[in-house]
Amino acid sequence: MSEPIVEFRHITKRFPGIVANDDVSLSIMKGEIFAVLGENGAGKSTLVSMLFGMYEPDGGEIWVRGKKEHISSPRYADSLSIGMVHQHFRLVSNYTVAENIVLGLEPVRKLFGIIPYVDMKKANRDIAELSERYGLKVNPEDVIEDLNVATRQRVEILKMLYREAEILIFDEPTAVLTPQEIESFLKILEGLRAGGKTIILITHKLREIKAVADRCAIMNRGKLISVLDVKTASTDEMAKMMVGHDISFTTERKPAHFGDVVLDVQNLTVRNHAGFEAVKSVSFQIHAGEVFAVAGVSGNGQNELADSIAGLVKPSGGKVILNGHDITDSSVREHIQAGVAYIPEDRHNVGLVLDFTLRGNFPLRLYDTPKYSRKSLINYAEFTAQSEKLTAAYDIRSARGGETIAREMSGGNQQKAIIAREIDMKTPLIIFMQPTRGLDAGAVMNIHKHIVAERDRGAAVLLISLDLDEIFDCADTVAVIYSGSINKISPASEITTDETGLYMMGVKTA
Amino acid sequence: MLDMIIIDGLSFSLPLFVMAIGGIYSERSGITNLALEGFQGFGAFTGAFAAVYLSGIFGASSDVPYYASFIFAVIGGGMFALLHALLCVKFKADQVVSGVVMNILAMASTSFLTKRINTSFFGNTANKFMLGASSRITLPGLSDIPVIGAVFKDIYPFEIMILVVAAVMWYVLYRTVYGMRLRACGDNPHSADAAGINVYAVRTVAVFISGCLSGIAGMSFAYSVSANFSPDIYLGYGYLSIAALIFGNWNILPALFACLIFGFARSGGSAVIQELGLPSSYNDLVRILPYVLTLLLLVFFSRHNRSPRALGQIYDKGQR
Amino acid sequence: MRKFTLSCLAIIISLIFGALILWLMGKDPVAAYMNLLQGSGLMEKAKYAARQNMFTDFMSFIDALTPMIFASLAVALALKGGFFNIGVSGQMLFAGFCAHMAAMFIPSKIVVVIVGFIGGALIGALIGWLKCRFNVNEVVSSIMLNSILMYLITFYINTFYVNPVSRQSKAISEAARLTLSRFRWEGLRIDIALAFPLAIIMALLLHWFIQRTTYGYEIKASGLSPQAAYYAGMNVQRTALMTMTLSGALAGLAGVSYFCGYLASIQPGVVPSMGFDAIAVSLLGGNNPLGCVLASFLITVISKGSIYMSSSQNIEQEIASLITAFILTFAACSAIFAKKGRK
Repeated sequence: MSEPIVEFRHITKRFPGIVANDDVSLSIMKGEIFAVLGENGAGKSTLVSMLFGMYEPDGGEIWVRGKKEHISSPRYADSLSIGMVHQHFRLVSNYTVAENIVLGLEPVRKLFGIIPYVDMKKANRDIAELSERYGLKVNPEDVIEDLNVATRQRVEILKMLYREAEILIFDEPTAVLTPQEIESFLKILEGLRAGGKTIILITHKLREIKAVADRCAIMNRGKLISVLDVKTASTDEMAKMMVGHDISFTTERKPAHFGDVVLDVQNLTVRNHAGFEAVKSVSFQIHAGEVFAVAGVSGNGQNELADSIAGLVKPSGGKVILNGHDITDSSVREHIQAGVAYIPEDRHNVGLVLDFTLRGNFPLRLYDTPKYSRKSLINYAEFTAQSEKLTAAYDIRSARGGETIAREMSGGNQQKAIIAREIDMKTPLIIFMQPTRGLDAGAVMNIHKHIVAERDRGAAVLLISLDLDEIFDCADTVAVIYSGSINKISPASEITTDETGLYMMGVKTA
Repeated sequence: MLDMIIIDGLSFSLPLFVMAIGGIYSERSGITNLALEGFQGFGAFTGAFAAVYLSGIFGASSDVPYYASFIFAVIGGGMFALLHALLCVKFKADQVVSGVVMNILAMASTSFLTKRINTSFFGNTANKFMLGASSRITLPGLSDIPVIGAVFKDIYPFEIMILVVAAVMWYVLYRTVYGMRLRACGDNPHSADAAGINVYAVRTVAVFISGCLSGIAGMSFAYSVSANFSPDIYLGYGYLSIAALIFGNWNILPALFACLIFGFARSGGSAVIQELGLPSSYNDLVRILPYVLTLLLLVFFSRHNRSPRALGQIYDKGQR
Repeated sequence: MRKFTLSCLAIIISLIFGALILWLMGKDPVAAYMNLLQGSGLMEKAKYAARQNMFTDFMSFIDALTPMIFASLAVALALKGGFFNIGVSGQMLFAGFCAHMAAMFIPSKIVVVIVGFIGGALIGALIGWLKCRFNVNEVVSSIMLNSILMYLITFYINTFYVNPVSRQSKAISEAARLTLSRFRWEGLRIDIALAFPLAIIMALLLHWFIQRTTYGYEIKASGLSPQAAYYAGMNVQRTALMTMTLSGALAGLAGVSYFCGYLASIQPGVVPSMGFDAIAVSLLGGNNPLGCVLASFLITVISKGSIYMSSSQNIEQEIASLITAFILTFAACSAIFAKKGRK
């Protein structure tokens, strides 16, 4: 913790229309865990990406180990012993762990002393040894597509260590992990620091910073606000600087008034594409005026649960009853007509036709109704009217209004458009699947308000999220899904986040 | 008769096979390649031009034009393939469209150039380069073994060439650093990029190789099936080798197997038709077989067939 | 509008390229290009053979244009629905063949059109069905079917239906042919493409169908994002099947206007290259039905006019297909500029 290993000096980076980094200067010491905190779009990823050679700064200098460097490519960053784990892992799915780790730096032997080949035996041995040394448990010969997220992350870390990286960058590493996996991940970070590595952690989660980081830079709208010593700074202080103003973390809401049962799910069983039972005999009820939130680790059947209730996937067993009508085997269209609104997780591939205009996307789920078409002839006037109404009411911003191609809009506005469309259907049941993933705090607040407003209107709300903060921000009732089964249903006021985490891991069952 | 089936079957299968290997290289690196047809034609064109030109220098009895023609076919096919690489890698064109356009371009340019060259170099206006059929070799001893001895009888020199090339290509794809990186690019170019691999370069080289290998195939067809180069070389063999590589699930050895089936079905069918005394037009019925087989295979085993994951996707380094 | 500009750019660059080649060969590019227009009946030639004038040239140009319009419409519709119909050639061949067979029993133009429509639709539907039911990639199945159909029809023609002199199939009867061949009028002999009005109607109809109906909305949504279309409650599989069937039917119309109109017989052993050219023509036309008509017009001017250019300039006729190939190559490249422009 003596001399700076990385220095950013007056870094400025512009993208068309925005200044991503505005005269940022900071230095990172050798052997520390340095966190970069900020909302989505604050410019933290851009800043650190320049250190990894993914972009080059428009102004300013980057100094590494006391030397000015032009880091023009990840390859060059690699030669400076800088490694990075991206938010979306970069792994070849049909290769083994060892093949992935050595890719680009393969051990080569020569057949008969002349013909070169990749020595996989040596690679396997090396990786086994490396994983032992750092306590990162992997089997070198496992194929990536068979591994879970936490293991894949360990493979990514090993990739950096194999390249003898000294400066390790992590971009939102805990976004996809459970509370318990996060614990063990933070232990790994501490182990790496003990091994003399310098760690740069990009995150917006204050709790983790508080737990492991030594120092923390806070960014807002491209500007460096402050660099704090984590031990002496309070979480509230950091949060305030991150957002730029005081915020309350909880959505204000009136107490719930439950009405009749709207959605009655009985012993629902759903198979996934591979024929595996992803949802196993799940039963629950949602009342009018209730937010029923399902917590769980990614990949425990949430997608299948949401898709089957929305009619996109046919259940293999059980019943879905909406206001007394059995809709288990109805088509997607019949679900829409029966009154199921659905905000899907994948807003790019499912929620929107990205290459349609915004105007063309609003009638997507109701284009066949008399409002938008008669005898198969489209009524474009109504398309336009709806577009004008929703963009104004939901403050959806885009370059050319309704004529904007959906692909060109920001993620937050895309999501707003989907939510506006679904809420405007005024259905008795509305399903929110991961509604705020990847959005900044302002947009998150806004969406949470809409969720609560839907409840207050008297709709039954099914909220499925990986984010426990979101769950506890909105839920009246919390359910936990683990391995396809719901193993806990409880009023939100009677369960803590830590307890929920244990149910999510399957450690506790009801 | 059985000898004939084996001899003709092999001499047709092997060029198909070497072209399929080229296709595998390209597609395993993530570039859809419908342009094999055009590559083999363009390769055969440059090779045939070289052969005709050189036989004017070395005399018709020399072996030089024959072997030189393959070298030029490799170069010609490879250079032409670079155009496909340019469109797909640099200009980010739709790879299927580019493939179709390459075939049109190959056919148009070789027909034009053949006539043009004949007019200005050789003083005739034919639309073909006459080559004559390749000589054949019989390996003494081995060819006397009953039944399978036919494998070593009456072989074209290019068949041996192809087997050597195929062995090298197999080794490169599955055992070397380049092969490992190439296959990574076809599955997840972003991870290859993150590992410091130049995806564009790997893919460009892969497409180049597919052009080179297709050149060998085109030249082999010119020396065996048609004994000349003319626009008639675009008979759809390129598409047949695509069928073979899909049949082989984008792997070299199974593709060889598919090519052998296709080749023997063709020669066997012809032999049967000859034996039954049917007119030669019945051969066309036999020719259907490989395509029907591939289609049926796809119908029944589509789930088991796994194309490279990033196949056909335009890779843009800037998009993350 | 941007697409239109890009297509124009591709055409202009290619024409300059072609001019350069002509110039290198020692020819006058302007004269050669004027020959293209003259050969297509769009400009007055210096002299005409007996019973011919600019109008007769123009009419035979229209005769060649008709199948190209149908073929490019077939490609454009499929592309709107997210399908790459590389099988237009096979569908044309099959439709033309079926129409020939039908015309032997009922020599009627209406029958030829209907049979062609249905014949093409059947193959298109087969490809769509293989895709929906077995998830067989349409590009691959189309390629396989092209070859299968070509060999089957070649076999049949060579065995039962050959004209021993021309070594092509027998000619279709004049009563059933969609082109009035060498029709006498005012001392002229004109080829009249009876299917041409149908081609124009189809282009307009298709444009309206895609833009104005819920079916068009479904086709576009399914083509751009099948998952979103499914989420929207559309029957994606039915839409896919419908798209490919209609695309095949249009290809069938191309087939009959080619093999039972522009030509009177089928050449065995080859698939018509028009099916592949049509892919590029549709691309050039921005996958818009009206754009397809314009692009077909241009490409046909080059191919049809090249015969006259070749004879009057004493250059290889193949230069025309070379220029066409250039246009298509540049059109394929233009995707990157379109994308850049959007950002």
